[in-house]
Amino acid sequence: MTMAGLEVGSITPVGNDFVFEVEITSNRPDWLSVVGIAREVAALTDKKIKVPVTARAAYRIAPGASAKQFRIRIESKKDCPVYTARIIRDVHVGPSPAWLKERLEAIGCRSINNIVDATNYIMFAWGQPLHAFDLDKLNSDTIVVRRARPGEKLVLIDGQQKSLTGEVLVIADTSAPVAVAGIMGGKGTEVDERTQHVLLEAAVFNPVVVRLGKRVLGLQSDSAYRFERGVDIAGTEYASFLAVELIREVAGGKNTVSVRSPLLEAKAKRIRVSLAAVHALTGAKDISAGHVKRILSSLGFGVKAHTKGSFLVEVPSFRPDVNLEADLIEEVARIFGYENIPTTLPPIIPQPDVIGPHELVVQLKNTLLSLGLDEVITHSLIPRDILEGFDPGSAQAPEIMNPLSKEQEVLRPTLLPSLIRCVGRNLNQKQEYVAVFEIANIFCNAGPSLKEELFLGVALCGRRSLWLGEGAVQDTPGFLHVKGILQIVCERLGIKLQECAFVCTAAPDIIEAHIGRLRVGVMTRIRREILERFDIKNKDVFALEIDLAKLFSLARLGKKFVPWPVYPEILRDISLVLKEEIPVAQVKETIRKLAGNFLEATEITDYYKGKQIETGFKGLTVSCRYRSSERTLTDAEINALHAEVLRGLTDALGARIR
Amino acid sequence: MSGIDIETIKNSLDAQLGEISSFQGLEECRVKYLGRKGLLAQLTSSIPTLPAEQRPVFGQQVNALKNKIESALATIEASLVGKAGTASAGPTAVIRSGVDIGLPAVAQGVGHLHPITQVMDEICCLFGRMGFRIVEGPEVETEYNNFTGLNIPLEHPSRDAFDTFYIKNAPKLLLRSHTSPVQVRAMKQAKPPLAVVVPGRVYRPDAVDASHSFMFHQVEGFMVDRGIRLSDLKGVLEFFAKGIFGQEINMRFRPHFFPFTEPSAEVDISCKICKGKGCSVCGRKGWLEILGSGMIHPNVLRNVGYDPDIYTGFAFGMGVERIAMLKYGIDDIRLFYENDMRFLAQF
Repeated sequence: MTMAGLEVGSITPVGNDFVFEVEITSNRPDWLSVVGIAREVAALTDKKIKVPVTARAAYRIAPGASAKQFRIRIESKKDCPVYTARIIRDVHVGPSPAWLKERLEAIGCRSINNIVDATNYIMFAWGQPLHAFDLDKLNSDTIVVRRARPGEKLVLIDGQQKSLTGEVLVIADTSAPVAVAGIMGGKGTEVDERTQHVLLEAAVFNPVVVRLGKRVLGLQSDSAYRFERGVDIAGTEYASFLAVELIREVAGGKNTVSVRSPLLEAKAKRIRVSLAAVHALTGAKDISAGHVKRILSSLGFGVKAHTKGSFLVEVPSFRPDVNLEADLIEEVARIFGYENIPTTLPPIIPQPDVIGPHELVVQLKNTLLSLGLDEVITHSLIPRDILEGFDPGSAQAPEIMNPLSKEQEVLRPTLLPSLIRCVGRNLNQKQEYVAVFEIANIFCNAGPSLKEELFLGVALCGRRSLWLGEGAVQDTPGFLHVKGILQIVCERLGIKLQECAFVCTAAPDIIEAHIGRLRVGVMTRIRREILERFDIKNKDVFALEIDLAKLFSLARLGKKFVPWPVYPEILRDISLVLKEEIPVAQVKETIRKLAGNFLEATEITDYYKGKQIETGFKGLTVSCRYRSSERTLTDAEINALHAEVLRGLTDALGARIR
Repeated sequence: MSGIDIETIKNSLDAQLGEISSFQGLEECRVKYLGRKGLLAQLTSSIPTLPAEQRPVFGQQVNALKNKIESALATIEASLVGKAGTASAGPTAVIRSGVDIGLPAVAQGVGHLHPITQVMDEICCLFGRMGFRIVEGPEVETEYNNFTGLNIPLEHPSRDAFDTFYIKNAPKLLLRSHTSPVQVRAMKQAKPPLAVVVPGRVYRPDAVDASHSFMFHQVEGFMVDRGIRLSDLKGVLEFFAKGIFGQEINMRFRPHFFPFTEPSAEVDISCKICKGKGCSVCGRKGWLEILGSGMIHPNVLRNVGYDPDIYTGFAFGMGVERIAMLKYGIDDIRLFYENDMRFLAQF
């Protein structure tokens, strides 16, 4: 059965019998009954199923019959396409015989009494849910199938009282609802040991209405499960008749009156299927026309030859899932056996290489790995309160309507809180140094809709020991480490760090990175109060967040060879002491202005405070590289130029040359 | 002149060799005598300056000297190795050229790619070899792309399997419950033939436990062209399954149901742990389900404007966490999102 699509989860021996646990896919309501499974097994084993032979006249209820003794009123045929009721008089309600109890309990259904058990038995055997009312507890000779009216209430057989709404379909007598249609009966009309006469309901209710009613009232039942998926209206009367026979056997009683709602015209579904289509879709060219016909017939389809090479197939009413040629081809294929279908490969259409965001992300991840960062994947849904103190914050975070828990309240507009949480957890596990990154989408409210953008987040925390062969140095991450990551990331994308401007904001812990006119990223030292909330104490966390769409838009990926300079360089170092508050950028800029075109580059090669430097001052060593692209420079001319530079530094910046 | 040179070299040779006490010294000596610009090379290059009748004898002398030096150096090397061997206290303390090689290496730490990324890359690469290109799509999707366009009607119980997170104040917007919506997007934007894989994050309001998470990753793929068959789907999935789990695994292609494919199938692989006999990992079945697939439903093709009488296609989808857990023997899905460094460092 499993290899034909009806997956068997387990087979358990129970007494002399076996209980199969089967997974029923939602497209096969006909498998929600023993007869449905039997039909499948018959098709697979080339046998025929045996059903009780009954003349149609015996079980069919003539429309309009017995209308004087009992009436059915249906508000909407869409809600209830067919309703039948059979009155059974003089029953003896009591415990069920052993065989019935055992059968039901083997499949996990509790035995209640012989009447209720009989209705359950028929439901599991034939797929038609039934309900038995105590006839004397109904207040009228009329059953009404209608929507509940606001304010109506009903106590169910499990004791719960439910307030009903207009979305719920109910079975009612002329005074009040007595059952929730297709889902659960009411306590007031339930069959108990004192019941003498029974009204047996066999009906079909609209799947959408049943599903809605289930959801509105928070209920579940085997009946509802079947109605939701589709019950066959062609089988209702037959099942109801078999139920009457079974009740007579186990509880006595006589079916005196049977009524039904007007007949619904069931249109026969006919679908054309061609042998060529079977071969084309499956790739199994050796399935013969005869085989197709045999398979479909064995499953209950009516097969007639149509034009040459095709059949006209009539679909039985218990197969609401078959509507297209493809559905019939699936039936053929699964009974033929998927394992018998050949294995081929489709023609490969090579695709030209495209460098899009995905490829750039792959390259970016490799760059970050080589910088010693670990990739993490954290949840996109977070609790709202974790965003406190961050910008963007909870005001920008799109809310989830149906979270299962606090953890799923909003979509995150920034990666930082998740990364900090990850850092905190690892520090808790006694990690000394945590360096992580994540590339993921962030989500921000944007008017009536929301924006989804790809971002890179990095978090650094702790202290690491760098072993250098003869001892180790301690390294604690800071803003310059973050700058280093940004620098390498930019370089690999063809963006020179010189193009990057660092803008200090009003907040002392936040430095923005601008490239061109785009604010591409933000470097942050997370405030200690925020870190405390993540259980991170006495440590700093430095973070970087980059808008990747913006960064990728600035990338220059084409490589072009640039020959290096022909003429030699002249190097001059400057060691100076100057006031702490003068930024290095200003020193370099001053040198650049003074030195002019022959200055190729300046590099800070040393930086020191402390012992030999007075407080309020710092020491710097700047290495200057002079070169001309047209000729070899002489020491003499550079000496002169460099002297100008030194003089200028002293004058303009008050620096002292060492 | 050369005669004096060769004699001088011979005379000082023993003294020079006697001074060698280290591998470094040995190497320096070898270069001095036998190197490209060494003494013997110089002697050899001086041969043309000699009178013709002296050349053969001189040449022989140089050769003899070369052989003598080579064998002497070899003997010295052997004795140095022997000394180094006896001086060591075991395989970990070999000291040559002044370095204790047992000291920690000077190595810059390299980070680790998350195992989910590694598995997703491997999956996409396998399909890439068969011509599938990578396309990504938004995580916040429309109800249409997530359900209706894929032939999943909103009222049908099959929708229960796909219960989703909805966005407040933005009706019709939800977090995608599978990556299949990108099928709809990609097919609308392009004409067949198409072969695409879609990796990405998906969301389902499942209670979190060892095998369920409300956020996880999927790789979805599809191919549309004239004449695509179920047999092609089998072949592609077999290539994939063997590629990711090993050539020796067995694969089972079994009928199933999805609203967006017809015929549909699920693929199982034989359980590596119990070798098909049944165990707790495979739920006693002996088979592990790894992906869902099928021929794209004609309604889906029609919804994106393709004529199902001309074009057919197949689609498949798999949970990346599940594949990773099977491949690496990880027993708790929550480990992927805790990002404990002891976990990440293993991949």
